[in-house]
Amino acid sequence: MENISNLTEFPKILVIDDEEIVRESCLRILQKQDYQVKTAPDGSSGLDLLKEYQPDLVLVDLKMPGMSGFEVLEEIYSIDATIVTIVITGFATVNSAVEAMKKGTYDFIPKPFNPDELRLIIHRGLERRKLVLETISLRNEKELLREHFAAIVSHELKSPLGAVQQNLYALVEDLEPVLTETQKDKMKRLQKRIQDLVKLINTWLRVISVDITNIQEHFGQIALIPLITNAVETVEPTAVRKDITISFQKPEALSQIVGDEGTLTEAIVNLLTNSVKYSKLGGKIVISVQQNPADIQISVSDNGVGIAEEDINFIFADFYRGKNLPEGERSSGLGLSITKRIIEAHHGSINVDSEVGKGSVFTIKLPLSEIN
Amino acid sequence: MAKEIKILIVDDDPDYVEGIQSTLINAGYAVDAAYNPKAGFEALESKKYDLLLLDIMMGRGAEGVMMARKINKDPVLREIPVLIITGIREQMAFLFPGQPVHPRFLPTDELLEKPVDPDLLLEKVSHLLELAEEKKTNE
Repeated sequence: MENISNLTEFPKILVIDDEEIVRESCLRILQKQDYQVKTAPDGSSGLDLLKEYQPDLVLVDLKMPGMSGFEVLEEIYSIDATIVTIVITGFATVNSAVEAMKKGTYDFIPKPFNPDELRLIIHRGLERRKLVLETISLRNEKELLREHFAAIVSHELKSPLGAVQQNLYALVEDLEPVLTETQKDKMKRLQKRIQDLVKLINTWLRVISVDITNIQEHFGQIALIPLITNAVETVEPTAVRKDITISFQKPEALSQIVGDEGTLTEAIVNLLTNSVKYSKLGGKIVISVQQNPADIQISVSDNGVGIAEEDINFIFADFYRGKNLPEGERSSGLGLSITKRIIEAHHGSINVDSEVGKGSVFTIKLPLSEIN
Repeated sequence: MAKEIKILIVDDDPDYVEGIQSTLINAGYAVDAAYNPKAGFEALESKKYDLLLLDIMMGRGAEGVMMARKINKDPVLREIPVLIITGIREQMAFLFPGQPVHPRFLPTDELLEKPVDPDLLLEKVSHLLELAEEKKTNE
């Protein structure tokens, strides 16, 4: 645990108050516990001390001559917003304390206070500080992990797989004259499975390491009808195997949109592939396009297995797979999440309507650009 | 084959090298392997190679890129055609932002992704060798 939080063993407390008696009593009460305590009689010397002392918690008197408590608090937030601040306030200034809390101060302690009250509030404040630091370090760790994930995956998973496959290729060549047809077939299966695995890792890498918003740099004018036709042709060979028909209902005319042709095609292919996966033998998939005043709407509907109610809120999340995946089908749980990111990078939206046993309808809306 | 064509593989994964080396040897090439850039340069100094197969991610990072850059600065070595073989095509854009998926570290290089289909490998190798041959006769 000590690695997660960098709260020091003896937490550092700074007391900024113009009344000597308050400073002295804080020192007396808190030093008995395992705290390091320093004090300052006014705002500006308090801030100077804060910069070099780097306390975990600061007690600030709201009413001081010179720099006011509020100004001091503001400065502290701008220096280090993770420092927990607690205001000391006279009975008459409780309202100001509430004001300070609205701005981010953790708590207040009214004067006069007894030692137990002070200890309690300091203890809670330090708990808070610990939580804040832990959250930050966890978040950093998560970011770091995300950044390094691509490199880790590539080396730790792809390299060994690559070596296996390369040797398998070599082995197949070497054994060519002696292998029987069934043995060759087994070799082919081995190679195919490894190849699928490599592909899967590449897809994961894409999700983790590639920032899809980058595609906006390559936006151009796109005609959707040829794009969708192309996507349908890509998926058709897979659909035919399950005796599924894909029909494309084209409108008479359609405005162009601004976007990236490659990723948009990928998005449509993903939706169609998904529909094929979740359709029964002989199913029907319809893709239609319709132009509205502000956007173009693309719908992909199927009469497949549908999506369970408990799944529907999660289907666009990374690595999520619905429970209704038909036998023999595989899913990485990434197709829809990538699709959603692509559509969002195009400032569009994607929605789904589904009923178990009846089928699903995915609807993409892409905004018409203002120029049109 | 009139004269033996010599290929050097620089890759830090001996298992991987084993696989690719066997395909090249079966195709009639003479193949040496070096498992780090330092050994790679030593080999390049000791013998004249017709082609270099270079891995990008070696050692603690993209040591292959450093090796490619160093080769490119050498007036003799830079004439050797280089086939870059990498497991990280997908992350190229990520590692070298603003560059095409195939960043040309060298004027002559080509890029393939690990694992490489043997037919594709042999095709690229002979293509690169032909290009180098043409270039020589034109000079």
